[in-house]
Amino acid sequence: MATNQAPRTSSPPAPSAGLWGFLAQRWELVTLAVLAIAPLVIPALGGALGGQVTNLFIYCILALALNVMVGYTGLVHLGIASFFGIGAYCLAILTVPMYPFQIGFLAAAVIAVLVTAGTGLALGAPTLRLRGDYLAIVTLGFGEVVKVTLRNLEQITGGMKGLNPVPPPGAGVTLSGIDLGKEFAIDPRWFYYLALLALAAVVVGMRRLENSRLGRALVAVREDELAAQAMGISATKVKLAAFAMSSAVAGLAGCLYAASLSTTADPNAYDFNRSIMVLCAVILGGLGSIPGTLLGVAILVGFDTVLAPWADSWIQQMNINPKGLSYLSFSGWRLAIFGVALVLVMRYRPEGLIPSRRLAAELHEGGTGS
Amino acid sequence: MPILEVKELEAGYGPIRALEGVSIEVAEGEAVAIIGANGAGKTTLLMAISGVVPARRGAISFEGRPIVGLPTHAIAKLGIGHAPEGRRIFPRLSVRENLQLGGFTQTDRATVARDIEEACALFPVLGTRMSQMGGTLSGGEQQMLALARALIGRPKLLLLDEPSLGLAPLIVQKIFEVIASLAKRGIAVVLVEQNARAALKLADRGYVLETGRITLSGPGKELAGDRRVREAYLGEG
Repeated sequence: MATNQAPRTSSPPAPSAGLWGFLAQRWELVTLAVLAIAPLVIPALGGALGGQVTNLFIYCILALALNVMVGYTGLVHLGIASFFGIGAYCLAILTVPMYPFQIGFLAAAVIAVLVTAGTGLALGAPTLRLRGDYLAIVTLGFGEVVKVTLRNLEQITGGMKGLNPVPPPGAGVTLSGIDLGKEFAIDPRWFYYLALLALAAVVVGMRRLENSRLGRALVAVREDELAAQAMGISATKVKLAAFAMSSAVAGLAGCLYAASLSTTADPNAYDFNRSIMVLCAVILGGLGSIPGTLLGVAILVGFDTVLAPWADSWIQQMNINPKGLSYLSFSGWRLAIFGVALVLVMRYRPEGLIPSRRLAAELHEGGTGS
Repeated sequence: MPILEVKELEAGYGPIRALEGVSIEVAEGEAVAIIGANGAGKTTLLMAISGVVPARRGAISFEGRPIVGLPTHAIAKLGIGHAPEGRRIFPRLSVRENLQLGGFTQTDRATVARDIEEACALFPVLGTRMSQMGGTLSGGEQQMLALARALIGRPKLLLLDEPSLGLAPLIVQKIFEVIASLAKRGIAVVLVEQNARAALKLADRGYVLETGRITLSGPGKELAGDRRVREAYLGEG
C-alpha cells in the first residue's frame, strides 16, 4: 500500500518554464520592484494617492503582525488595533513638542516597538491558558480598555485631540544638502518608500520565521499542543513569543501610522472596527499565508480607503446623484459589498484566496484522520 | 539502577481515580510491556510519567532524578520520548517538518538532519513522502512517522501508546520489528498495548494493569504462558 504515491502527493509545484512561472515563483521580488518603480512613473503617487498607498503598506504590516497570532499559532486575537495604537502613542510621546523627550524617529520607533512587545507579554502571560473564544473575549476587552484609556487620560494622550504634531522622520537632519524632515513633510513619496522598506523587512522576517525552529513550534502548538509538548516544546514560551512578536510588529505599524499622519489621530482610530477589518483581511487572504495576507489587505483596505472614495467622487462628478441620496452613493453600499464578498469567499474558498500550503491540504481533503 | 522507577503512583481525572498505587521499574535498554483492558489506566500511566496528567501521590524518578511536577516539555528534554495514543502527528505540517519538530530539543541542525536520514532508512516510505502533509499519510505511515518523530529526539526512554491500534497486520509487524530493534540501540521502551500477544513476545518484562493496579508482573514469556493472562488477554482458555 505504501508505494502508491501518485494521487496523494501535494509536493510544491514544479518550476514551470516561461515568464509566468518566473512571476509566480518570485512574486515578492516582482511586486517589490513594481512598487519601488511606481512612484517614479505614476505622478499621482506624489499626491493623495501616495498617502493612501502608504496607508495600505502600513495595514499590510499590521495584518502580518496579526497573522503571527491567528495564522501561525492559532490564537484568536480581536484587539490587534490596540497594539497599533500603543505603538503610535509611544512614538508620539517620545517625539511631539509637548513632551520633553523629542528624540529622533528611529530611536523613538525602537523604544515604541519594545514597549508594545512588553505590553503584548503582559497581556499574554495571564491569558495563556485561554483558548479559542475565551482568548478572543480577553483580547477584545483589552482593545476596548486601551481605547477608553487613551481617550480618558487626557493629560497624557491629549484625549480626543490625540497627540500632534508628530514630527516627520529625519526632522532637523540634513543629508548632503537635503533637509530630510522637510522632504518627508512635502512629498508623500518619502513615506511611501519608508513604509515599503519596512513592509519588505517585515515580509523577509516573516518568511524566515516560517522556516525557523520557532516558526515550526508555533504551528506545532496550533496543531496539537500535547504532541508539541511531548517534543520538548514549551507551549507557554512559544505562545508568549507569538504575543511579543505580533505586538512588536503591530507597534511598528503604529509608529509609521502616526508619523505619516503627523498625529496619533483620536483614539477611535484604534478601535474594534480596525481590529476586525485587519482580521477579515487575514482570513480573506488566507490564514498563515504571507502573500494571502498582503492580498487580503490590498483588497479590503484598498476597497475601503482607495476605491470607495474614488467611486464616490466619480459618482459626484458624473452628476448621477445630485440630491446626495445615500443609496446612490458608493459608500452607502460599502459595508454590504464587503459582507457579501466575505460570505462568498468563505463559501467557495474557506482557506482564503491564497491559502497557506499548510492549511490548504486540510480543508480540501475533507479533514484528516486525527 | 533502573532508568525509570515509578512508586505507588496515584493519578486520575477529577473524581475518577485511574491509577491506584502503581509501581513499575524499567532498566536501561529494557523493553517493558504494559497490558490490560480498556480503561485499566495504561494511557494514564504514560501520561503521568510524561507529566501530562499530574501525579496525586507517589514518586516517579528518571535516571535517579524525581520528575513529578515537572512540565511536560521539561520531561521530554530529559530524554523521555512519548508517542501518544492516536499518533498525533501534525497533520498540516510536512513529513519533514514533523520530523524536524521531533528534534526540537536538539540544537545542532546537522545532527537533526542526520537523524532524519537515519529515520528514513528505518522507514523508507517516509523518505518518499518528505514534502507531503502529515495528515495525508495513511494510518500506518502516520504511525511510522510518529515513531520516527519520537526517535529523532534521541530519547533514552520511549513511551509508546498503542502503536498497533487500527493498523494492518503487516504494518504492525514492521512497527514491532523496529521497536524490538530499539533495545539494541540502548533505548528503553515502555510499550502499552492491547495486542498483548505481540507485546509480550517482544518485551523483556511485562506488567498486567487492571483497574488502576498492577496485578501481575514478570518476564514477557512467563507472562504469556500464565493461565490468567492467557484467559483474559490472549483469548484462550
